[in-house]
Amino acid sequence: MLNDTNKTTAIIEMQNVGIRYGQGPEILSDIKLSLRKGSFHFLTGKSGAGKTSLLSMMYLSQKPSRGSVSVFGHNVNFANRDALAMLRRKIGVVFQDFRLIDHLSAFDNVALPLRVCGMDEREVKKRVMELLQWVELDRSIQATPATLSGGEKQRVAIARAVINRPELLLADEPTGNVDNDIAPKLMKLFVELNKLGTTVVIATHSEKLISDFAYPRLHLQNHGLKIFAPNDPSGMGVRHV
Amino acid sequence: MHQMILPVWGCAMSKQKNVFITRHEELPLKNSSTSLFLQIMVAIAVFLFAVTLSGVLSINAMLRNWNESILGSLTVQIMPSTNINPEKAIAETLAHQNKALDVLRNMNEIEKAEPLTDKQLEKLIQPWLGDGIDIKDLPVPRIIDVKIQKGADIDFMDLAYKLAQATPMASVDNHKLWLNKLIQFADGIKILALSVLALVIMITSGAIFYTTQTSLGLHKYTIEILHLMGAKDTYVAQQYAKCSAILALKGGLIGLAIAIPTIFGIASLAHQIEGGIISEAKLSGLDWMVIVGLPAFASLIAMLTAYYTVKQTLQRLM
Repeated sequence: MLNDTNKTTAIIEMQNVGIRYGQGPEILSDIKLSLRKGSFHFLTGKSGAGKTSLLSMMYLSQKPSRGSVSVFGHNVNFANRDALAMLRRKIGVVFQDFRLIDHLSAFDNVALPLRVCGMDEREVKKRVMELLQWVELDRSIQATPATLSGGEKQRVAIARAVINRPELLLADEPTGNVDNDIAPKLMKLFVELNKLGTTVVIATHSEKLISDFAYPRLHLQNHGLKIFAPNDPSGMGVRHV
Repeated sequence: MHQMILPVWGCAMSKQKNVFITRHEELPLKNSSTSLFLQIMVAIAVFLFAVTLSGVLSINAMLRNWNESILGSLTVQIMPSTNINPEKAIAETLAHQNKALDVLRNMNEIEKAEPLTDKQLEKLIQPWLGDGIDIKDLPVPRIIDVKIQKGADIDFMDLAYKLAQATPMASVDNHKLWLNKLIQFADGIKILALSVLALVIMITSGAIFYTTQTSLGLHKYTIEILHLMGAKDTYVAQQYAKCSAILALKGGLIGLAIAIPTIFGIASLAHQIEGGIISEAKLSGLDWMVIVGLPAFASLIAMLTAYYTVKQTLQRLM
Protein backbone atom coordinates (compact mmCIF):
# COMPACT_ATOMS: atom_id res chain seq x y z
CA MET A 1 0.00 0.00 0.00
CA LEU A 2 2.89 2.31 0.68
CA ASN A 3 4.34 1.79 -2.72
CA ASP A 4 4.60 5.53 -3.32
CA THR A 5 8.06 5.65 -4.74
CA ASN A 6 7.49 4.21 -8.16
CA LYS A 7 9.19 6.97 -10.08
CA THR A 8 7.97 5.86 -13.46
CA THR A 9 4.37 6.67 -12.57
CA ALA A 10 4.95 9.42 -9.98
CA ILE A 11 2.43 12.21 -10.23
CA ILE A 12 4.14 14.33 -7.59
CA GLU A 13 7.72 14.04 -6.50
CA MET A 14 9.40 16.21 -3.89
CA GLN A 15 13.09 16.13 -3.01
CA ASN A 16 14.47 17.90 0.09
CA VAL A 17 11.73 20.49 -0.12
CA GLY A 18 11.63 23.33 2.35
CA ILE A 19 9.20 26.23 2.62
CA ARG A 20 9.70 29.43 4.53
CA TYR A 21 7.86 32.74 4.38
CA GLY A 22 10.11 35.76 4.31
CA GLN A 23 12.99 35.46 6.75
CA GLY A 24 11.00 33.24 9.13
CA PRO A 25 11.78 29.64 10.07
CA GLU A 26 10.97 26.81 7.69
CA ILE A 27 7.37 25.65 7.91
CA LEU A 28 8.29 22.46 6.11
CA SER A 29 11.79 20.99 6.04
CA ASP A 30 13.40 18.28 3.95
CA ILE A 31 10.15 16.91 2.60
CA LYS A 32 10.64 13.87 0.41
CA LEU A 33 7.56 12.49 -1.23
CA SER A 34 6.54 10.52 -4.26
CA LEU A 35 2.86 9.96 -5.04
CA ARG A 36 2.16 7.34 -7.65
CA LYS A 37 -0.56 7.66 -10.22
CA GLY A 38 -3.94 6.53 -8.98
CA SER A 39 -3.06 6.67 -5.28
CA PHE A 40 -5.36 8.04 -2.56
CA HIS A 41 -3.97 9.77 0.55
CA PHE A 42 -5.24 11.71 3.45
CA LEU A 43 -3.12 14.63 4.57
CA THR A 44 -3.21 15.29 8.28
CA GLY A 45 -1.47 17.42 10.85
CA LYS A 46 -2.26 20.01 13.44
CA SER A 47 -3.34 23.51 12.45
CA GLY A 48 -0.28 25.40 11.26
CA ALA A 49 1.62 22.19 10.50
CA GLY A 50 1.90 23.20 6.85
CA LYS A 51 -0.91 21.22 5.18
CA THR A 52 -2.06 24.16 3.09
CA SER A 53 1.53 25.06 2.17
CA LEU A 54 2.18 21.51 1.02
CA LEU A 55 -1.05 21.45 -0.98
CA SER A 56 -0.30 24.84 -2.53
CA MET A 57 2.99 23.44 -3.83
CA MET A 58 1.08 20.49 -5.25
CA TYR A 59 -1.38 22.74 -7.08
CA LEU A 60 1.50 24.91 -8.28
CA SER A 61 0.49 28.06 -6.48
CA GLN A 62 3.77 28.18 -4.64
CA LYS A 63 7.33 27.22 -5.42
CA PRO A 64 9.53 25.70 -2.72
CA SER A 65 12.13 27.81 -0.93
CA ARG A 66 14.54 24.98 -1.55
CA GLY A 67 14.53 21.50 -3.00
CA SER A 68 12.75 20.39 -6.13
CA VAL A 69 9.13 19.61 -6.92
CA SER A 70 8.06 17.66 -9.98
CA VAL A 71 4.45 17.42 -11.04
CA PHE A 72 3.47 15.07 -13.86
CA GLY A 73 7.20 14.65 -14.50
CA HIS A 74 7.85 18.38 -14.94
CA ASN A 75 10.21 20.14 -12.56
CA VAL A 76 8.13 23.13 -11.54
CA ASN A 77 11.20 25.06 -10.37
CA PHE A 78 12.12 25.63 -13.99
CA ALA A 79 8.71 25.59 -15.69
CA ASN A 80 7.57 28.81 -17.37
CA ARG A 81 4.16 30.38 -16.71
CA ASP A 82 2.41 28.83 -19.70
CA ALA A 83 3.76 25.39 -18.84
CA LEU A 84 2.51 25.78 -15.26
CA ALA A 85 -0.92 26.77 -16.58
CA MET A 86 -1.05 23.64 -18.73
CA LEU A 87 -0.10 21.49 -15.71
CA ARG A 88 -2.77 23.17 -13.56
CA ARG A 89 -5.41 22.09 -16.07
CA LYS A 90 -4.77 18.51 -14.99
CA ILE A 91 -5.29 19.37 -11.33
CA GLY A 92 -8.59 19.84 -9.53
CA VAL A 93 -8.53 21.69 -6.25
CA VAL A 94 -11.16 22.05 -3.54
CA PHE A 95 -10.13 24.94 -1.33
CA GLN A 96 -10.95 25.18 2.33
CA ASP A 97 -12.44 28.65 1.74
CA PHE A 98 -14.01 27.48 -1.57
CA ARG A 99 -12.51 30.38 -3.56
CA LEU A 100 -15.60 30.87 -5.67
CA ILE A 101 -15.91 34.02 -7.71
CA ASP A 102 -18.62 36.06 -6.03
CA HIS A 103 -20.11 37.78 -9.07
CA LEU A 104 -20.41 34.56 -11.04
CA SER A 105 -23.30 32.14 -10.82
CA ALA A 106 -22.88 28.56 -9.66
CA PHE A 107 -22.97 27.54 -13.33
CA ASP A 108 -20.23 29.99 -14.35
CA ASN A 109 -18.05 29.03 -11.38
CA VAL A 110 -18.24 25.36 -12.26
CA ALA A 111 -17.67 26.14 -15.96
CA LEU A 112 -14.42 28.04 -15.31
CA PRO A 113 -11.93 25.16 -15.83
CA LEU A 114 -13.64 24.24 -19.12
CA ARG A 115 -13.78 27.78 -20.41
CA VAL A 116 -10.13 28.55 -19.70
CA CYS A 117 -9.33 25.52 -21.87
CA GLY A 118 -11.41 27.06 -24.65
CA MET A 119 -14.09 24.37 -24.72
CA ASP A 120 -17.09 24.90 -26.97
CA GLU A 121 -19.89 26.61 -25.05
CA ARG A 122 -22.50 23.94 -25.92
CA GLU A 123 -20.26 21.23 -24.51
CA VAL A 124 -19.61 23.40 -21.44
CA LYS A 125 -23.33 23.75 -20.85
CA LYS A 126 -23.93 20.03 -21.24
CA ARG A 127 -21.19 19.00 -18.84
CA VAL A 128 -21.88 21.64 -16.20
CA MET A 129 -25.62 21.00 -16.17
CA GLU A 130 -24.99 17.28 -15.73
CA LEU A 131 -22.61 17.79 -12.86
CA LEU A 132 -24.80 20.38 -11.14
CA GLN A 133 -27.63 17.88 -11.28
CA TRP A 134 -25.42 15.28 -9.66
CA VAL A 135 -24.47 17.59 -6.83
CA GLU A 136 -28.15 18.48 -6.47
CA LEU A 137 -27.64 22.11 -7.37
CA ASP A 138 -29.56 22.13 -10.63
CA ARG A 139 -32.11 24.45 -9.06
CA SER A 140 -29.41 26.94 -8.14
CA ILE A 141 -27.48 27.23 -11.38
CA GLN A 142 -27.97 31.00 -11.60
CA ALA A 143 -27.43 31.62 -7.87
CA THR A 144 -24.34 33.52 -6.86
CA PRO A 145 -22.18 32.26 -3.96
CA ALA A 146 -23.55 34.95 -1.65
CA THR A 147 -27.00 33.34 -1.81
CA LEU A 148 -25.76 29.77 -1.34
CA SER A 149 -25.35 28.00 2.00
CA GLY A 150 -21.91 26.75 3.14
CA GLY A 151 -22.70 23.23 2.02
CA GLU A 152 -23.94 24.40 -1.38
CA LYS A 153 -20.80 26.47 -1.90
CA GLN A 154 -18.76 23.42 -0.98
CA ARG A 155 -20.57 21.38 -3.60
CA VAL A 156 -20.04 24.07 -6.23
CA ALA A 157 -16.34 24.10 -5.33
CA ILE A 158 -16.17 20.32 -5.64
CA ALA A 159 -18.05 20.32 -8.92
CA ARG A 160 -15.60 22.90 -10.25
CA ALA A 161 -12.67 20.74 -9.12
CA VAL A 162 -13.88 17.60 -10.87
CA ILE A 163 -15.59 19.04 -13.97
CA ASN A 164 -12.46 18.70 -16.06
CA ARG A 165 -11.78 15.11 -15.00
CA PRO A 166 -8.48 15.98 -13.26
CA GLU A 167 -5.55 13.59 -13.07
CA LEU A 168 -4.79 14.92 -9.62
CA LEU A 169 -7.45 16.00 -7.14
CA LEU A 170 -6.42 18.00 -4.09
CA ALA A 171 -8.96 18.86 -1.44
CA ASP A 172 -8.47 20.96 1.67
CA GLU A 173 -11.10 19.99 4.28
CA PRO A 174 -13.68 19.18 1.60
CA THR A 175 -16.24 17.85 4.04
CA GLY A 176 -15.75 20.49 6.69
CA ASN A 177 -18.79 22.58 5.84
CA VAL A 178 -21.25 20.02 4.57
CA ASP A 179 -24.01 18.19 6.38
CA ASN A 180 -23.31 14.74 7.83
CA ASP A 181 -25.39 13.04 5.15
CA ILE A 182 -23.64 14.87 2.30
CA ALA A 183 -20.06 14.20 3.49
CA PRO A 184 -20.11 10.43 2.73
CA LYS A 185 -21.55 11.18 -0.73
CA LEU A 186 -18.70 13.58 -1.43
CA MET A 187 -16.18 11.03 -0.22
CA LYS A 188 -17.76 8.41 -2.46
CA LEU A 189 -17.38 10.80 -5.36
CA PHE A 190 -13.66 11.12 -4.62
CA VAL A 191 -13.34 7.36 -4.30
CA GLU A 192 -15.10 6.84 -7.65
CA LEU A 193 -12.80 9.37 -9.28
CA ASN A 194 -9.82 7.56 -7.75
CA LYS A 195 -11.06 4.27 -9.15
CA LEU A 196 -11.09 5.93 -12.55
CA GLY A 197 -7.39 6.77 -12.18
CA THR A 198 -7.38 10.14 -10.49
CA THR A 199 -4.73 10.61 -7.84
CA VAL A 200 -6.37 12.05 -4.73
CA VAL A 201 -4.98 13.90 -1.72
CA ILE A 202 -7.43 15.07 0.91
CA ALA A 203 -6.37 17.28 3.79
CA THR A 204 -8.60 16.68 6.78
CA HIS A 205 -8.87 16.82 10.55
CA SER A 206 -11.69 14.30 10.60
CA GLU A 207 -10.62 11.10 12.36
CA LYS A 208 -13.95 9.56 11.39
CA LEU A 209 -13.28 10.13 7.73
CA ILE A 210 -9.82 8.59 8.05
CA SER A 211 -11.12 5.57 9.92
CA ASP A 212 -14.07 5.07 7.53
CA PHE A 213 -11.88 4.93 4.46
CA ALA A 214 -8.83 2.73 4.40
CA TYR A 215 -6.27 4.91 2.75
CA PRO A 216 -2.73 5.85 3.79
CA ARG A 217 -2.13 9.07 5.59
CA LEU A 218 0.50 11.75 4.98
CA HIS A 219 1.07 13.29 8.38
CA LEU A 220 2.87 16.58 8.93
CA GLN A 221 4.64 16.88 12.26
CA ASN A 222 7.62 18.91 13.46
CA HIS A 223 8.06 20.39 9.97
CA GLY A 224 8.53 16.90 8.52
CA LEU A 225 6.36 14.34 6.78
CA LYS A 226 5.52 10.78 7.82
CA ILE A 227 3.37 8.26 6.01
CA PHE A 228 0.97 6.14 8.05
CA ALA A 229 -0.46 2.91 6.77
CA PRO A 230 -4.26 2.72 6.37
CA ASN A 231 -6.17 2.46 9.63
CA ASP A 232 -3.04 2.98 11.66
CA PRO A 233 -3.84 5.95 13.88
CA SER A 234 -1.27 4.89 16.46
CA GLY A 235 1.59 5.39 14.09
CA MET A 236 2.54 1.73 14.10
CA GLY A 237 4.14 0.95 10.81
CA VAL A 238 5.07 4.54 10.25
CA ARG A 239 7.35 5.06 7.39
CA HIS A 240 9.39 8.25 7.52
CA VAL A 241 9.60 9.81 4.15
CA MET B 1 -16.67 9.18 -15.87
CA HIS B 2 -20.10 10.60 -15.47
CA GLN B 3 -21.83 7.27 -15.84
CA MET B 4 -19.85 5.90 -12.93
CA ILE B 5 -20.26 8.89 -10.68
CA LEU B 6 -23.98 9.09 -11.29
CA PRO B 7 -25.00 6.33 -8.80
CA VAL B 8 -22.93 8.01 -6.11
CA TRP B 9 -25.31 10.90 -6.04
CA GLY B 10 -28.35 8.76 -6.53
CA CYS B 11 -30.17 11.44 -8.43
CA ALA B 12 -31.99 10.53 -11.56
CA MET B 13 -30.29 11.72 -14.68
CA SER B 14 -33.39 13.47 -15.82
CA LYS B 15 -33.69 15.08 -19.19
CA GLN B 16 -31.81 18.33 -19.09
CA LYS B 17 -34.01 21.32 -18.84
CA ASN B 18 -33.65 23.78 -21.64
CA VAL B 19 -32.33 26.48 -19.37
CA PHE B 20 -31.19 29.76 -20.81
CA ILE B 21 -27.75 30.43 -19.42
CA THR B 22 -26.31 33.90 -19.51
CA ARG B 23 -22.55 33.83 -19.55
CA HIS B 24 -21.09 36.44 -17.25
CA GLU B 25 -17.63 37.86 -17.75
CA GLU B 26 -15.16 36.33 -15.33
CA LEU B 27 -13.58 39.74 -14.90
CA PRO B 28 -16.32 42.39 -14.53
CA LEU B 29 -14.25 45.04 -16.23
CA LYS B 30 -17.02 46.92 -18.03
CA ASN B 31 -18.71 47.98 -14.83
CA SER B 32 -15.62 48.61 -12.77
CA SER B 33 -14.75 52.03 -11.40
CA THR B 34 -11.96 52.47 -13.92
CA SER B 35 -14.08 51.83 -17.01
CA LEU B 36 -15.92 55.17 -16.87
CA PHE B 37 -12.61 56.97 -16.42
CA LEU B 38 -11.20 55.15 -19.43
CA GLN B 39 -14.17 56.09 -21.61
CA ILE B 40 -14.06 59.77 -20.61
CA MET B 41 -10.31 59.91 -21.14
CA VAL B 42 -10.48 58.30 -24.57
CA ALA B 43 -13.38 60.61 -25.52
CA ILE B 44 -11.25 63.65 -24.64
CA ALA B 45 -8.20 62.20 -26.40
CA VAL B 46 -10.15 61.43 -29.59
CA PHE B 47 -11.74 64.89 -29.50
CA LEU B 48 -8.32 66.57 -29.24
CA PHE B 49 -6.86 64.19 -31.77
CA ALA B 50 -9.65 64.77 -34.30
CA VAL B 51 -9.52 68.57 -34.01
CA THR B 52 -5.71 68.66 -34.19
CA LEU B 53 -5.59 66.12 -37.00
CA SER B 54 -8.14 68.10 -39.00
CA GLY B 55 -5.83 71.10 -38.54
CA VAL B 56 -2.81 69.13 -39.75
CA LEU B 57 -4.72 67.75 -42.73
CA SER B 58 -6.03 71.22 -43.60
CA ILE B 59 -2.52 72.63 -43.46
CA ASN B 60 -1.37 69.78 -45.67
CA ALA B 61 -4.08 70.56 -48.19
CA MET B 62 -3.14 74.23 -48.05
CA LEU B 63 0.55 73.44 -48.58
CA ARG B 64 -0.35 71.22 -51.50
CA ASN B 65 -2.36 74.03 -53.09
CA TRP B 66 0.36 76.55 -52.47
CA ASN B 67 3.04 74.29 -53.89
CA GLU B 68 0.95 73.72 -57.00
CA SER B 69 0.52 77.47 -57.39
CA ILE B 70 4.28 77.99 -57.11
CA LEU B 71 4.99 75.40 -59.74
CA GLY B 72 2.10 76.24 -62.06
CA SER B 73 1.66 79.98 -62.10
CA LEU B 74 3.25 83.39 -61.91
CA THR B 75 2.11 86.98 -61.96
CA VAL B 76 3.31 89.77 -64.20
CA GLN B 77 2.70 93.22 -62.84
CA ILE B 78 2.49 96.30 -65.09
CA MET B 79 3.22 99.51 -63.19
CA PRO B 80 0.74 102.33 -63.93
CA SER B 81 1.81 105.15 -66.26
CA THR B 82 2.75 108.40 -64.53
CA ASN B 83 1.04 110.52 -67.19
CA ILE B 84 -0.97 113.28 -65.41
CA ASN B 85 -3.83 112.87 -67.86
CA PRO B 86 -5.83 109.96 -66.43
CA GLU B 87 -7.22 108.79 -69.78
CA LYS B 88 -3.77 108.84 -71.39
CA ALA B 89 -2.28 107.13 -68.36
CA ILE B 90 -4.78 104.28 -68.66
CA ALA B 91 -4.18 103.93 -72.38
CA GLU B 92 -0.39 103.87 -71.86
CA THR B 93 -0.66 101.32 -69.08
CA LEU B 94 -2.89 99.08 -71.25
CA ALA B 95 -0.43 99.42 -74.11
CA HIS B 96 2.39 98.22 -71.85
CA GLN B 97 0.15 95.37 -70.72
CA ASN B 98 -0.48 94.32 -74.34
CA LYS B 99 3.24 94.31 -75.08
CA ALA B 100 3.85 92.08 -72.09
CA LEU B 101 0.95 89.81 -73.18
CA ASP B 102 2.50 89.49 -76.64
CA VAL B 103 5.77 88.30 -75.08
CA LEU B 104 4.05 85.87 -72.77
CA ARG B 105 1.69 84.39 -75.35
CA ASN B 106 4.59 83.77 -77.75
CA MET B 107 6.43 81.59 -75.23
CA ASN B 108 5.96 77.80 -75.55
CA GLU B 109 6.27 77.24 -71.80
CA ILE B 110 3.24 79.42 -71.10
CA GLU B 111 -0.16 77.79 -71.35
CA LYS B 112 -2.27 80.85 -70.69
CA ALA B 113 -1.72 84.55 -69.94
CA GLU B 114 -4.82 86.55 -69.02
CA PRO B 115 -4.96 90.11 -67.67
CA LEU B 116 -7.19 90.64 -64.66
CA THR B 117 -10.36 92.54 -65.56
CA ASP B 118 -11.30 95.83 -63.91
CA LYS B 119 -13.84 94.01 -61.76
CA GLN B 120 -11.24 91.48 -60.60
CA LEU B 121 -8.82 94.27 -59.74
CA GLU B 122 -11.54 96.15 -57.85
CA LYS B 123 -12.26 92.98 -55.87
CA LEU B 124 -8.58 92.60 -55.03
CA ILE B 125 -8.28 96.11 -53.57
CA GLN B 126 -11.75 96.15 -52.04
CA PRO B 127 -10.54 94.96 -48.58
CA TRP B 128 -8.30 98.00 -48.34
CA LEU B 129 -10.30 100.73 -50.12
CA GLY B 130 -13.87 99.53 -49.55
CA ASP B 131 -16.87 99.35 -51.92
CA GLY B 132 -17.83 101.74 -54.72
CA ILE B 133 -14.39 102.45 -56.09
CA ASP B 134 -13.69 102.85 -59.80
CA ILE B 135 -10.36 101.37 -60.87
CA LYS B 136 -10.10 103.88 -63.70
CA ASP B 137 -9.76 106.70 -61.19
CA LEU B 138 -6.79 105.10 -59.46
CA PRO B 139 -3.16 104.62 -60.51
CA VAL B 140 -3.14 100.91 -59.72
CA PRO B 141 -0.90 98.37 -61.43
CA ARG B 142 -2.35 95.93 -63.95
CA ILE B 143 -1.93 92.24 -63.26
CA ILE B 144 -1.48 89.42 -65.74
CA ASP B 145 -2.23 85.96 -64.38
CA VAL B 146 0.08 83.45 -66.10
CA LYS B 147 -0.41 79.72 -66.13
CA ILE B 148 2.67 77.68 -66.98
CA GLN B 149 2.53 74.49 -69.05
CA LYS B 150 2.53 71.40 -66.89
CA GLY B 151 6.06 70.07 -66.49
CA ALA B 152 7.61 73.07 -68.29
CA ASP B 153 10.98 74.18 -66.94
CA ILE B 154 10.71 77.94 -67.30
CA ASP B 155 13.76 80.20 -67.03
CA PHE B 156 12.50 83.13 -64.92
CA MET B 157 15.61 85.24 -65.61
CA ASP B 158 15.10 84.86 -69.36
CA LEU B 159 11.42 85.71 -69.01
CA ALA B 160 12.20 88.82 -66.96
CA TYR B 161 14.77 89.90 -69.58
CA LYS B 162 12.31 89.46 -72.47
CA LEU B 163 9.60 91.37 -70.64
CA ALA B 164 12.04 94.18 -69.80
CA GLN B 165 12.95 94.38 -73.50
CA ALA B 166 9.27 94.67 -74.41
CA THR B 167 8.25 97.12 -71.70
CA PRO B 168 10.16 98.63 -68.81
CA MET B 169 6.95 98.79 -66.75
CA ALA B 170 6.65 94.95 -66.35
CA SER B 171 7.95 92.95 -63.44
CA VAL B 172 7.68 89.21 -62.75
CA ASP B 173 6.56 87.78 -59.45
CA ASN B 174 6.80 83.99 -59.25
CA HIS B 175 5.35 83.98 -55.65
CA LYS B 176 8.28 81.96 -54.39
CA LEU B 177 9.57 84.40 -51.82
CA TRP B 178 6.38 85.00 -49.87
CA LEU B 179 5.03 81.50 -50.42
CA ASN B 180 8.24 79.97 -49.10
CA LYS B 181 7.84 81.96 -45.90
CA LEU B 182 4.22 80.88 -45.60
CA ILE B 183 5.16 77.27 -46.24
CA GLN B 184 7.86 77.44 -43.58
CA PHE B 185 5.32 78.87 -41.15
CA ALA B 186 2.76 76.21 -42.05
CA ASP B 187 5.39 73.48 -41.71
CA GLY B 188 6.19 74.77 -38.23
CA ILE B 189 2.52 74.64 -37.24
CA LYS B 190 2.28 71.15 -38.72
CA ILE B 191 5.23 69.88 -36.67
CA LEU B 192 3.70 71.45 -33.56
CA ALA B 193 0.35 69.78 -34.28
CA LEU B 194 2.02 66.42 -34.92
CA SER B 195 3.84 66.79 -31.60
CA VAL B 196 0.47 67.38 -29.93
CA LEU B 197 -0.88 64.23 -31.60
CA ALA B 198 2.11 62.20 -30.41
CA LEU B 199 1.60 63.61 -26.93
CA VAL B 200 -2.12 62.69 -26.98
CA ILE B 201 -1.25 59.12 -28.00
CA MET B 202 1.40 58.88 -25.27
CA ILE B 203 -0.90 60.28 -22.57
CA THR B 204 -3.75 57.98 -23.66
CA SER B 205 -1.51 54.92 -23.69
CA GLY B 206 -0.04 55.90 -20.33
CA ALA B 207 -3.49 56.36 -18.81
CA ILE B 208 -4.65 53.00 -20.18
CA PHE B 209 -1.48 51.44 -18.76
CA TYR B 210 -2.14 52.78 -15.25
CA THR B 211 -5.90 52.11 -15.46
CA THR B 212 -5.16 48.51 -16.42
CA GLN B 213 -2.65 48.12 -13.62
CA THR B 214 -5.15 49.49 -11.11
CA SER B 215 -7.79 47.15 -12.44
CA LEU B 216 -5.41 44.19 -12.15
CA GLY B 217 -4.96 45.07 -8.50
CA LEU B 218 -8.73 45.28 -8.00
CA HIS B 219 -9.31 41.90 -9.63
CA LYS B 220 -6.26 40.14 -8.22
CA TYR B 221 -8.37 37.57 -6.35
CA THR B 222 -10.33 36.56 -9.45
CA ILE B 223 -7.19 36.44 -11.58
CA GLU B 224 -5.51 34.16 -9.04
CA ILE B 225 -8.48 31.80 -9.24
CA LEU B 226 -8.37 31.86 -13.03
CA HIS B 227 -4.69 30.98 -12.89
CA LEU B 228 -5.41 28.13 -10.50
CA MET B 229 -8.01 26.83 -12.95
CA GLY B 230 -5.28 26.71 -15.61
CA ALA B 231 -5.79 30.04 -17.33
CA LYS B 232 -2.73 31.37 -19.11
CA ASP B 233 -1.78 35.04 -18.89
CA THR B 234 -3.03 35.36 -22.46
CA TYR B 235 -6.55 34.38 -21.33
CA VAL B 236 -6.63 37.24 -18.81
CA ALA B 237 -4.90 39.64 -21.20
CA GLN B 238 -7.46 38.90 -23.93
CA GLN B 239 -10.34 39.76 -21.59
CA TYR B 240 -8.68 43.07 -20.73
CA ALA B 241 -7.85 43.77 -24.37
CA LYS B 242 -11.42 43.05 -25.49
CA CYS B 243 -12.96 45.17 -22.77
CA SER B 244 -10.52 48.06 -23.27
CA ALA B 245 -11.14 47.98 -27.02
CA ILE B 246 -14.93 48.19 -26.53
CA LEU B 247 -14.71 50.94 -23.90
CA ALA B 248 -12.23 52.93 -26.01
CA LEU B 249 -14.46 52.55 -29.06
CA LYS B 250 -17.45 53.89 -27.11
CA GLY B 251 -15.41 56.75 -25.66
CA GLY B 252 -13.89 57.43 -29.07
CA LEU B 253 -17.29 57.66 -30.75
CA ILE B 254 -18.43 60.15 -28.10
CA GLY B 255 -15.26 62.20 -28.66
CA LEU B 256 -15.78 62.08 -32.42
CA ALA B 257 -19.42 63.10 -32.09
CA ILE B 258 -18.28 66.25 -30.27
CA ALA B 259 -15.28 66.83 -32.56
CA ILE B 260 -17.15 66.84 -35.89
CA PRO B 261 -19.37 69.87 -35.12
CA THR B 262 -16.33 71.56 -33.61
CA ILE B 263 -14.33 71.04 -36.81
CA PHE B 264 -17.22 72.42 -38.86
CA GLY B 265 -17.45 75.37 -36.46
CA ILE B 266 -13.73 76.14 -36.84
CA ALA B 267 -13.97 75.71 -40.62
CA SER B 268 -16.93 78.07 -40.71
CA LEU B 269 -14.98 80.69 -38.69
CA ALA B 270 -11.97 80.24 -41.00
CA HIS B 271 -14.11 80.83 -44.08
CA GLN B 272 -15.23 84.12 -42.66
CA ILE B 273 -11.60 85.31 -42.67
CA GLU B 274 -11.06 87.26 -45.88
CA GLY B 275 -8.01 86.83 -48.09
CA GLY B 276 -8.63 83.55 -49.82
CA ILE B 277 -5.76 81.72 -48.14
CA ILE B 278 -7.69 79.90 -45.43
CA SER B 279 -10.47 78.92 -47.81
CA GLU B 280 -8.04 76.63 -49.59
CA ALA B 281 -7.66 74.52 -46.43
CA LYS B 282 -10.48 72.11 -47.17
CA LEU B 283 -10.54 68.52 -45.95
CA SER B 284 -10.81 65.90 -48.66
CA GLY B 285 -12.95 62.78 -48.51
CA LEU B 286 -9.87 60.76 -47.56
CA ASP B 287 -9.09 63.21 -44.75
CA TRP B 288 -12.61 62.74 -43.37
CA MET B 289 -12.24 58.99 -43.57
CA VAL B 290 -9.07 59.25 -41.46
CA ILE B 291 -10.85 61.41 -38.88
CA VAL B 292 -13.91 59.15 -38.75
CA GLY B 293 -11.56 56.18 -38.28
CA LEU B 294 -10.06 57.69 -35.12
CA PRO B 295 -12.31 55.80 -32.64
CA ALA B 296 -11.21 52.53 -34.24
CA PHE B 297 -7.59 53.68 -33.98
CA ALA B 298 -8.09 54.59 -30.30
CA SER B 299 -9.71 51.20 -29.78
CA LEU B 300 -6.70 49.46 -31.32
CA ILE B 301 -4.25 51.46 -29.18
CA ALA B 302 -6.29 50.67 -26.03
CA MET B 303 -6.49 46.99 -26.94
CA LEU B 304 -2.76 46.60 -27.54
CA THR B 305 -1.79 48.69 -24.51
CA ALA B 306 -4.10 46.73 -22.20
CA TYR B 307 -2.97 43.38 -23.62
CA TYR B 308 0.75 44.01 -23.16
CA THR B 309 0.26 45.75 -19.81
CA VAL B 310 -1.55 42.68 -18.45
CA LYS B 311 1.05 40.28 -19.83
CA GLN B 312 3.92 42.32 -18.44
CA THR B 313 2.28 43.01 -15.05
CA LEU B 314 1.19 39.42 -14.44
CA GLN B 315 4.67 38.23 -15.28
CA ARG B 316 6.05 40.62 -12.68
CA LEU B 317 3.45 40.35 -9.92
CA MET B 318 2.18 36.78 -9.83
